[in-house]
Amino acid sequence: MEADRESGHAARGGSRAGAELGASEARRARSARALDGPSEVVAYYAEKDFFEDDELIQLVTSILEGNLTLDWYRVETPRVHARPADPGRGLTYEDCNLGPYGYDAIPEFLRDRYSMASRGSALLAKLPDLGYTINRRSDVWADNVAALYEEAKARRWAPAVDIPWGELDVAADPLREAAMAQACTLLEEVALVAMEVPSRWVFSINQEFLELKSFLCAQMIDEARHVEACRKRALVSGQGLGRASVSAEQALKELLSAETYPEASLATNLLLGSFVLAMYRALAAVSQARADRLLATLSMQDVARSVAYGVAHMRYHIEHQPGKAVALADYLDRSEHTVLGIAGTPEFLEPLVLLAAGSRAPAALARGAAFARRWFAGALGEYQERCGAAGLGDRRERSRLPRIAASLAG
Amino acid sequence: MSYLSTTDFTEDPGFVDRFRRTMKGDLELSWMDVPRERVRCRPQNERRGLTFRDLDVGSYGFTEMPELIRQNRSFAPRGAVQPPGLPDLQAEVNRKSEVWAYNIEGYYEEAMTRQWNATTDIPWAELQDTALPEDIGKAYAQLLTFLTEVEMIATDVPAKWMGRLNADFFEVKNFIATQAMDEARHAEIFRKRALSTGWGLMRASSHNEFNLKFLRDADSFAEASLALHLQAEGMVLTLFRFSEYISPTEGDKKLFRLVMQDEARHVGYGMQHLKWVLDHFPEKRELIHHHLDEAENFVFGAGYATEVLEPFIILSGKGLKKENVAEGARITMAFQVKQTEEYFERLAKCGLPERRERSRLWRMFELQKQQMGLPTQ
Repeated sequence: MEADRESGHAARGGSRAGAELGASEARRARSARALDGPSEVVAYYAEKDFFEDDELIQLVTSILEGNLTLDWYRVETPRVHARPADPGRGLTYEDCNLGPYGYDAIPEFLRDRYSMASRGSALLAKLPDLGYTINRRSDVWADNVAALYEEAKARRWAPAVDIPWGELDVAADPLREAAMAQACTLLEEVALVAMEVPSRWVFSINQEFLELKSFLCAQMIDEARHVEACRKRALVSGQGLGRASVSAEQALKELLSAETYPEASLATNLLLGSFVLAMYRALAAVSQARADRLLATLSMQDVARSVAYGVAHMRYHIEHQPGKAVALADYLDRSEHTVLGIAGTPEFLEPLVLLAAGSRAPAALARGAAFARRWFAGALGEYQERCGAAGLGDRRERSRLPRIAASLAG
Repeated sequence: MSYLSTTDFTEDPGFVDRFRRTMKGDLELSWMDVPRERVRCRPQNERRGLTFRDLDVGSYGFTEMPELIRQNRSFAPRGAVQPPGLPDLQAEVNRKSEVWAYNIEGYYEEAMTRQWNATTDIPWAELQDTALPEDIGKAYAQLLTFLTEVEMIATDVPAKWMGRLNADFFEVKNFIATQAMDEARHAEIFRKRALSTGWGLMRASSHNEFNLKFLRDADSFAEASLALHLQAEGMVLTLFRFSEYISPTEGDKKLFRLVMQDEARHVGYGMQHLKWVLDHFPEKRELIHHHLDEAENFVFGAGYATEVLEPFIILSGKGLKKENVAEGARITMAFQVKQTEEYFERLAKCGLPERRERSRLWRMFELQKQQMGLPTQ
């Protein structure tokens, strides 16, 4: 497996070398060899050359002549009849939580299932190892994950058509539009990272955790929607996109590179999610147009799902692995500073103050700043409450963020 | 310990001071006056709303995006002002033609507006009222077991690549996100339907699992896409179409129509991507052929997947009696011919007409047609 990966890297390197425009002839020649070298371009080969396999030809010919093997027909898997508990709600994953097929039956450790065989189906002796590295239930699971997946589908929206773009009168208040464009530039950056976090992990998570993996897919499309909505809002403003934020991106890279899935989930769903939820709520509060309110409130409902998963995931994780609470609290000690770099970056905070103020007049700016102080204190308080509910203890004593928030009052 | 930000923001006096001043209403507003392209995008068609195509303007758009992304290695949105100090996110794929597809923005917008819900968009209550005879019920449950087994490969593989793509290719990343959701929904609907038939899930398919491993381990995004979007999903698309035809109830026909519309989009992306690669990165042609050589080996080996072939015969012939099986085999062979023909037609349309001459799968296919008394090329 490792050898396969090594050869994969060699092939990618060769492809890129060949790709660079203006490369020397020698580099082109090397690249061509890399492209042509069979051992370097396919990572996994079938165990047989099936075109030379007489046994296969005989089998297929026999079946098509009517001699079915029916090996699969004789398997004795449990017979169930999933039905909607509430026909108005349709057939949910909860309705399918039946016997060995259900998510309640997933064991804490998956020791003998490394393929994509559907949970509960009859397994054959010979199934490949697909390389999953996350095989412990309490590393990923949350009691609300199936319900959150169902909600994500039911509450889908499409920025292209569900935001009344035509109602925006962007010429009326250029200052407000500039602030909105800058805030949305920052939120687009955040959403790009929030979309990548689930994508990084889903490949490594055992397929038995189907409902959880499906929820990660819902998170991806939610965040794709936020990338889209925020970019569109910035580009209808007449101001263009604003400035990327160094502090936010440094902080986001730190969160994105969390080493384990529980840390990644804590970082992005609970920590970052709490503040991003507050950021969208603030935008909704200062919006003057229905389109902006809708953009913010619809995004809030998506982010709220990630936060709800983050809290429930941490609760489940710590209940089943209590020894991890110390390490996760230590992770937060190190990582909480990132939300100051994101929510407190001038590329978001200044536009927020301006949007709340409505003008650059000193009295208005004072009002806007007061709004921002209340907003930050509220976001921090909610985050700390969630940490407590998740079993991460009272962060008020330990976190460095309350000290900074307290200093704002002075 | 993984990447750490260059600054601990709570311990950075300069950052904290600036934060406090902002919170008192003392704004610098340096972002406001930075030179930038000031555009005002509007919907070209009010009924379609504001699309990514409407945003294809100047440095913000995808048309002017260069082939090699040399400037942006961060998450700065394409066209945004990039101050010094942005981190390098270590993107591995920075060449547009490795990932791009004609009409990618259209596929994404379509995906967003055509999301559907497996929980509520299928008449589950009606399906409960239809009892399937044992041979049909078991065959259908086995076909559904296969389908739910393979669907999420098309989540895992593109998702694996998403983080490796440069952020400037966000339209592709967004499309991948929609595909991930589409496939989760497909795995869900086939699983739910299998569990509502009264037979439960049946047997996993060893041969198909090895094929999934091949799809997971592709060495580049272009190869992964070729084998996944164009070859595998293309063949599954034909399978869905025939499955609709042989479905036991109207509710099941609706199920297949819904998944088909998603699958067609994925195949569309695969085709338009391959076309883009061949148009802009012709050096890849030989590598593509080599990858298809092995992908087609797996396709041919699918004869070992009796968990798919035999249920298909039973469903097509509507039973297990001798005459049913004979009729089912006839329909199944017609399906296989159609599936293979469509696959090679897609490749030809993408600019790979010579594939037929090189492919052993094509030669075997021609032989099969001869045996069936069908015209060959």
